[in-house]
Amino acid sequence: MSESNIATVADVEFGVELPAFLPDISIDNVKRFAVAAHWDFPRFTDHEAARSEGLPGALVPGIMSQGFFAAMIHRWADGAQINSIDTIFRAPVLVDSTCTINGVVTDIDEDNGQVEIDLTMLNEKGETRVFGTAQITLPV
Amino acid sequence: MLLDLHAHSVKSDDGRAKVANYCQWIKAKELPIDGFVLTEHRQFDDESDYSDIGAKFGLTILKGSEVETEYGHVLVFGVTEPLTREFDFASIHLPLAQVIEASERHGAVAIPCHPGRPRVGMAAHIDEFGVPVGVRIVEVYNGGSRDDEDAIAQAMATELGYRGIGGSDAHIVSHIGRCATRFSQQVNNETELVEALKAGEFEAVTFREAS
Repeated sequence: MSESNIATVADVEFGVELPAFLPDISIDNVKRFAVAAHWDFPRFTDHEAARSEGLPGALVPGIMSQGFFAAMIHRWADGAQINSIDTIFRAPVLVDSTCTINGVVTDIDEDNGQVEIDLTMLNEKGETRVFGTAQITLPV
Repeated sequence: MLLDLHAHSVKSDDGRAKVANYCQWIKAKELPIDGFVLTEHRQFDDESDYSDIGAKFGLTILKGSEVETEYGHVLVFGVTEPLTREFDFASIHLPLAQVIEASERHGAVAIPCHPGRPRVGMAAHIDEFGVPVGVRIVEVYNGGSRDDEDAIAQAMATELGYRGIGGSDAHIVSHIGRCATRFSQQVNNETELVEALKAGEFEAVTFREAS
């Protein structure tokens, strides 16, 4: 079911926060994603295998984090065209941890329907793990 | 006066924020800072002039640089054209001693940033290279710090007698102003910033929520 109430660029205000999103990064869900995306490597789906590679545990694939970013945008504005999600991976996102994704509108071009959104994935301690900016287009 | 001493714009390879949007954000969110310093990675942005944007929003926008040394990353404030000829700002292998010496000779200040961070912070390299000569100030609050990185920086500063600054290390708009530095006097330009830093008339502050 859509949670969206953003139909056009006129509905968007600078600084508005998108509803926070809690991605399901449980080992089961990550396994499902890894298989579906043909990105099925033990470092993503097996904590022990990841640790044997020197990692702190299994990692959420970067493309999965990007997918959550896209999902968050579409839950907020289901008619948005996502032009790009420029992502910076600052620190590993661990499988089975609890993360929150925040998003805020940081630029609006009302004439062309362009909106820029800051996206930040935080861990339980409020530390940034992944951040980025999305460029989307909304109907004028 | 509160200045965020560590921010990156789209001029940095990993920066995604436009300067005007930083200003718009500070005002829209009523952040308590009075301005910020753009410390672009491995360069000094001599060509951009943000004075009109600063005046429009009533904010002080200054420019510095973040260079890379064997001790990790280092902020340089008070960069002048002659200083840019002293070493290659784009290098990722600068000797910290050279950066400090050249900065002092040209009226600038070099300050190791996020010193508690693995690999790119000063504390991680002291065992190997020893305590560097000439460091007087380090960044003790960094908006991008994780785990105990700020605590490591503060412990090191206490042990070695360094003063501390704060900066957000913002790369996106909404991260500006997470940490800052409070100055006892007005700072209107890079020269006054260097004077205030050399005089020690400042303290680091953080606005990050305790985790």
